Amino acid sequence: MTRILDPTLRAVPPRTAARAPRPSRLSGATLGLLANGKTHGMVFLERVAEHLRGRHGIADLLRVTKANASAPVPPEDAALLVKRCAAVVTAIGD
Amino acid sequence: MTDDAYPGLDVDDPWQAVEACFAQGWTDGLPVVPPTAALVERMLAGGPWPADAVLLHEPVRDRAVTAWHAAINTVMAGCRPEYFPVVGAALLAIGDPAFTLHGPATSTGGAALMVIVNGPVREAIGLHGGGNLFGPGVRANATIGRALRLVLLNGLGCHPGVLDQSTQGWAGKYSLCFAEHEAASPWEPLHVSRGLRATQSAVTVFAAESGHNVLVHAASEPETLLVGFADAMAGLASLSPGRSVIVLAPEHAQHLARAGWSRARTQRWLYEHARRPLADLKRAGKVEAQFLLGPEMRGWLYARAPGGAATAPSGPDAHARVLPGDEAVAVHRGLSPDDILICAGGGAAGGHSAFFPSWSRGRSVPFITREVPA
Repeated sequence: MTRILDPTLRAVPPRTAARAPRPSRLSGATLGLLANGKTHGMVFLERVAEHLRGRHGIADLLRVTKANASAPVPPEDAALLVKRCAAVVTAIGD
Repeated sequence: MTDDAYPGLDVDDPWQAVEACFAQGWTDGLPVVPPTAALVERMLAGGPWPADAVLLHEPVRDRAVTAWHAAINTVMAGCRPEYFPVVGAALLAIGDPAFTLHGPATSTGGAALMVIVNGPVREAIGLHGGGNLFGPGVRANATIGRALRLVLLNGLGCHPGVLDQSTQGWAGKYSLCFAEHEAASPWEPLHVSRGLRATQSAVTVFAAESGHNVLVHAASEPETLLVGFADAMAGLASLSPGRSVIVLAPEHAQHLARAGWSRARTQRWLYEHARRPLADLKRAGKVEAQFLLGPEMRGWLYARAPGGAATAPSGPDAHARVLPGDEAVAVHRGLSPDDILICAGGGAAGGHSAFFPSWSRGRSVPFITREVPA
């Protein structure tokens, strides 16, 4: 009997982050739109926002487009979204 | 530690081990060397890193690959322990935040991770830069690039069709690692041009589309020889503001050496001549409406326009309609001569060089050079 080692990270516990509390309603709230930076991300999100706005009475939108689709959200943008928004929708659009 | 202290699978015989790796989805489609603890420990001992050193952190999905996990995958790829310093240096290079690995690892563009190796380690481990350097036949070339691919697959979860969304991919994704043929270069070794000493060993990484053969047999003057290179670089198929890698065949390198052309002069000439009229890009559907809204692509397209990027037109079809003046606006490959990396490689005979475009229709990722620990 020979043991061959698992080459994946399955056995490595992922770093956990707390899930954000779910808002019970979006009426009057600011909704964040986070586009990942590909060509049509914000075009797509604008349409999503149009639907959500009508359905949930969203008061305001905060739009953030990442400068680089392959990089994480810059911490200052993430902090701004957390501070201003009740919920954030993110998308890729190419 | 005893073997069964490590997470893994118990198998009865070598063939069952190979098959088990396929069944688990741990391979690139070729058989792997089954990684036992003894082999992994020997691999790890080939490099300077402790088992828990992080060799690759991918920040978008927050995955950290330690030297231990890298060593498992490097055994599987078929590397010898003395290759591990090169594998580790390449992992550290592709993990450089500026390289933004998440893009080339997952994009429809299907990039291969090119690893160019310079310095004494080439001879020490038998890494090849001569004839058929991109092709089969040499263990170090075939397995070092493969180790990177297996780390992406098993460490970062870049499974084809799942996280790796390559539309087509290409064969370089199995392994694309080669030595610079420093003796055939008209100039200082690539890594020296990038700030290291000749006595150091180094890897330079690049996210590459598939290469184009640049076949020129009847030219010896640089201005004639390089026309074919510039033409390949200006091809509409890959034209972008991204970077380029040129691997000069020794025969082509000799022509440049004889004429006394420097690396910088060659880069300048190629940059100046690898260009197309903006009208050609529009006719070929290479200009997207969104390009005219963002500073990066607009800046690239209109850098040579009278008045620069500020004069870029707007309007619903300005990206597609050929406007007066578009024939005279030259769009160059890349943003400057520094975007063209030139090294030497290949066999003594034959006028076959190679051009590798960057992955992506945008600026893509930079070249990253990193020392290989001695």
